[in-house]
Amino acid sequence: MTRLRADRRRPMTLLRAVVAELRKTATLPASAAATAVAVLGPLGITVLNAFSVRNAIRSGQPGLVAYTSPAEAAFSAAPLGTIGAIILGVVVISSEFTANSPDAGGGRQITATLAATPRRLVVLAAKAVAVVLNVLAAAAITLPACLFVADFVIGDLATPDDLGPTAARAAGAALYWTLTALMALAITVLTRSGVIPLIVLIVNSSLVSVSMVLTHVTTLAYYLPDAAGMRLFADDPLGEFEHALAPLTGGLVMAAWALGFLAVSSAVFTRRDA
Amino acid sequence: MLSISGLTKRHGPRTVLSDVTFQARPGRVTGFLGPNGAGKSSTLRILLGLDRPTAGTALIDGRPYRKLPDPIRAVGSMLDGSGAHRSRTARNHLAWVARAGGVPKRRIDEVLDQVGLAGAGRTRVGKFSLGMGQRLGLAAALLGEPAALVLDEPVNGLDPEGIRWIRGLLRGHADAGGTVLLSSHLMSEVAEITDDLVIIAGGRIVATGPLTEVIAGHATLEEAFFALTGADR
Amino acid sequence: MTTKPTRTAAVRLARTAAVRLARTTAAELVKLRGLPAILGTALGTVVTGAFLAVALASSAPTATDATDVVTHTVLFLQIGPILIGVLAVATEYAGRQIATTLTATPNRRLLLAGKAAAYLIVATATSVTTIVAGLAAAQLTLIARDRAAEAREFDPWPAAGAVTYLVLIGVLALALATLLRSLIPPLVGMLTVVLVVSPLLSGYTEHARWLPDRAGGLLYLPTTDPVLGARTGTIVLLTWIALTGSAAIAAFRSRDA
Repeated sequence: MTRLRADRRRPMTLLRAVVAELRKTATLPASAAATAVAVLGPLGITVLNAFSVRNAIRSGQPGLVAYTSPAEAAFSAAPLGTIGAIILGVVVISSEFTANSPDAGGGRQITATLAATPRRLVVLAAKAVAVVLNVLAAAAITLPACLFVADFVIGDLATPDDLGPTAARAAGAALYWTLTALMALAITVLTRSGVIPLIVLIVNSSLVSVSMVLTHVTTLAYYLPDAAGMRLFADDPLGEFEHALAPLTGGLVMAAWALGFLAVSSAVFTRRDA
Repeated sequence: MLSISGLTKRHGPRTVLSDVTFQARPGRVTGFLGPNGAGKSSTLRILLGLDRPTAGTALIDGRPYRKLPDPIRAVGSMLDGSGAHRSRTARNHLAWVARAGGVPKRRIDEVLDQVGLAGAGRTRVGKFSLGMGQRLGLAAALLGEPAALVLDEPVNGLDPEGIRWIRGLLRGHADAGGTVLLSSHLMSEVAEITDDLVIIAGGRIVATGPLTEVIAGHATLEEAFFALTGADR
Repeated sequence: MTTKPTRTAAVRLARTAAVRLARTTAAELVKLRGLPAILGTALGTVVTGAFLAVALASSAPTATDATDVVTHTVLFLQIGPILIGVLAVATEYAGRQIATTLTATPNRRLLLAGKAAAYLIVATATSVTTIVAGLAAAQLTLIARDRAAEAREFDPWPAAGAVTYLVLIGVLALALATLLRSLIPPLVGMLTVVLVVSPLLSGYTEHARWLPDRAGGLLYLPTTDPVLGARTGTIVLLTWIALTGSAAIAAFRSRDA
């Protein structure tokens, strides 16, 4: 009887922890800002891109832009969504370790969190679930909105996009954001401060990532986390990245990285003094 | 002499201080009492030039803090503990304060010794206990050998030995002709240390004067405090 | 204070002001030295500069010129001065150090001047070291690959331009952090603009040239834009700094600490 109850309690603890983390995330101004970046950033860039494409086509110089498809205009703005995902992954952890009054003896929220949910793996899992739900929600709003806006602006002038591949790329972008957010979370658990993960991940979510520089040195660099997943949503119209991993392989490699980071950070988080 | 007159501070529609007037005189320890949110810290922050008043003045020997030529040599202050970034060492913190205030370097060791942190100069502030942070804040206040001390909750977090030490320090400072203005929540401490009292509630001064006069008619300072501030209702 | 200033009094006043600024700058330098994060950033920038120079010089098929290699690393190296600029301000607000700072130096314009001067000293030292280390690393790599250009005249201007750009982009970060009084928002904002938004937009709209990093980049890549040149590009970057800086100074002087 007792054992049964204890067994039943486990999923309950996780569920309760997830709800608690979701509430914490929802009320944290920084995570609201991160969500705003993930939604408004891609939308803003999409609008700018779409108008450039439209102007180029209207003026009869489509060669001025790299593409004329609405989907391309939308997906080239996806790195801004990655930035939002990174911020979200970082702040759900770094906010726990920021001292309220960073003077000597300042209280940190992690103390209260671990007092409420002493099982650390549950805490971490709940945070990861909360982050994933947040990122997916942002992606579900942002990506269709971007595609719609790009289609609306460019309109009939556009090279039409096929629905199937476009949907696959949207799913790929959402996955890329989610995995990046999880890596951000895991690295922040290790560093306890947001600065290093923010820098490393923002640099490598950009078009000019260090990983891309390293691909000149060795094609193995395509197995680095950010480069591996690039084809999840990025087409390669100019054929610049012929050695890049295919979407499925790349997505799996990137997921393996994210799981690896999460495993290391769980091991550290459960062993370390808060 | 610290003279505060007609001080008013508004944050939007909220009035934090209204017409606050009192003095802290040389040779005396002045205690500044009031419940949480009564306006103690706001008053001290305006006195130290950190916040601007909506109306009124806060003067140190006739000049506003921001016009003092070498402020930390005139007024030593401590608000909220150490006031140091947690990743620097205690010695580094005092070193830059000394540089900024035109205080000779030798004072760093002297004050570290004086507050009992001689052995912790190379420790990072983040590793300090509450009481040690408090001692570092006091060290920075004493650095410029100022005539006036303005301290917000100086005994907060100090151990019994530290409380006894600061009592002696403040008494000695006033007896040597210095001015001391301190805020506190610890009634028994205040009753023991201070000569004059200023009590604030809801942003208004409700009593000022020598300790004995303010207490007159009540059994203890604590009872006088609750009667004056209406905090027990 | 209200007496009519004689010449000697004016000289004395100027001297006092100079002494004050020197003292405040010295204090701000001691402050920066006490932060492990600043030292780490400076060292990290130099090491990254050398590492990237070696990576590029050993891989890019057409690389023959050390200066060329190093100017291509500036894109990443700018993270260093940006972080120094943001940290110099943000550490004041992580905790209540700002109260200590302003009680020691109540004159806020003087404080900001001292802070900017200390930043300029640290950022210039870091940038010069980084660019020199990068040039040396690139040249050695090219020599090792037998790819070094034939005793061509060394043109110091792109390298000097890169140093200037690195220092200036960090000033913008310093101003932004002063305006925002925080660490993460100005850091993310600066990094997103220079690393994500600017490369993205430059492919699709020519107006991207007015972004601070694009315009300032002309300091070390002098012939890549049809509208702006090195001088006008610098003026655009300085205008960004002036606008952000004025807003920061006005906010810092008027608001409560």
